[in-house]
Amino acid sequence: MNQDTTKLSRRNFFKAGTVLASGVAIASALTPYDGLLFAAESPGAKGKWYGIGIDINKCIGCGKCANACKQENNVPKDPFYFRSWVEQYTIKNDGSILVESPSGGVNGFTQSVPDNEIYKSFFVPKMCNHCAKSPCTQVCPVGATFETEEGIVLVDEKYCIGCRYCVQACPYGCRYIHPEKGTADKCTLCFHRLKHGLQPACFEICPTEARIFGDLNDPGSKLNYFLKNHNCMVVKPHLNTGSKLFYNALSPEVR
Amino acid sequence: MSDNSLNKQNMPQHIKRLISVFAIFIVLFLVMRQVLKPSSFGKLGHFRADAIYENTLKPMHYTIADSCTKCHKSVRAEKDKGFHKRLKCEVCHGPGLKHSLFAEQFKGKELPDSLKLYKPGERKDCGVCHQKNAARIKIQFDTINTTMVHQIDLAEHNPPDLKANEPANCIDCHNPHQP
Repeated sequence: MNQDTTKLSRRNFFKAGTVLASGVAIASALTPYDGLLFAAESPGAKGKWYGIGIDINKCIGCGKCANACKQENNVPKDPFYFRSWVEQYTIKNDGSILVESPSGGVNGFTQSVPDNEIYKSFFVPKMCNHCAKSPCTQVCPVGATFETEEGIVLVDEKYCIGCRYCVQACPYGCRYIHPEKGTADKCTLCFHRLKHGLQPACFEICPTEARIFGDLNDPGSKLNYFLKNHNCMVVKPHLNTGSKLFYNALSPEVR
Repeated sequence: MSDNSLNKQNMPQHIKRLISVFAIFIVLFLVMRQVLKPSSFGKLGHFRADAIYENTLKPMHYTIADSCTKCHKSVRAEKDKGFHKRLKCEVCHGPGLKHSLFAEQFKGKELPDSLKLYKPGERKDCGVCHQKNAARIKIQFDTINTTMVHQIDLAEHNPPDLKANEPANCIDCHNPHQP
């Protein structure tokens, strides 16, 4: 019985195997594996390719960006829905790390650790990284979230089924479910303002100009000048998300 | 086990029926997909291309600094001399697009109260940036004037007299446009 089911002789097996292997080799030579493409490289290399720069040295933690984002985008006022927020990191002399974000920093910060216990302290404004290979887009089962040609990750509110898979997938915690709409909501880089030639609200409002917004494809843009003159780093680079949010003076404690 | 049952020429009746049921389901799926799929889906990728346009339709609330100075010229001139010259008006006063659009459309008319912007001046308003905080003291090495934010300990600096019920707001002594 077993002899009848297989008619593959040793010669034929090797023949078929060689054809298959050479086929795979030719196909991979024609379209090389691009898993190692770096973040700032745009796929089209023409048109706009937006990126974000944040200078932690300049941030004074006023929380105006978080406040402006809530007002511009009608984000619910509850202190746990944020598209953009600020965290205060305090590293104490004993090595322990304290991360605070009282209602996202919308109303500013008050120092909770006395000066003599602090080793160092700094503010980290956080928002959507607009990843070039965003995990949230990859996991959406219905195609309700996508990356535009300009490198902005958007949500299709009419198509979203509210399954919360993207909220789980985002390694930066930048998505939430809108309590009224029941759909996923996130930073759109103020897409409605960009179309009128304006900056996103949080960049427009930053009093110390710690936030820099620009086109990564334009060598003369403010952002490229910032990236050239500072040692910038993205958060969680080991995840290879292609993050386009670059921090100057980013401490390794930031997660 | 006889080999006849697997012979194609002698396909059993139940397999034939199963194939026809599958064919009906596949055709039904293709028809339904054609009807239910939005027309712009898949045009630019695995998403509805119309959603890009729909995202641009959201209302704006923040305007740009230039629209404030159309009316408030003297404040701008005052502010340009002080340390707050690089601050935009909306940093302290809040979003003002509706305010400026109303002023532009109905020139000379009285603004309704709902469109009047916030006038900060209390201790907590200024303290958002100027309250002493260990994370706010920055070492400057490239540019000097950009981020030097004056640090005040609000508990020590002219504390409000609670007995006399005097608020001791910051604007009682300081002009916020020219601090």
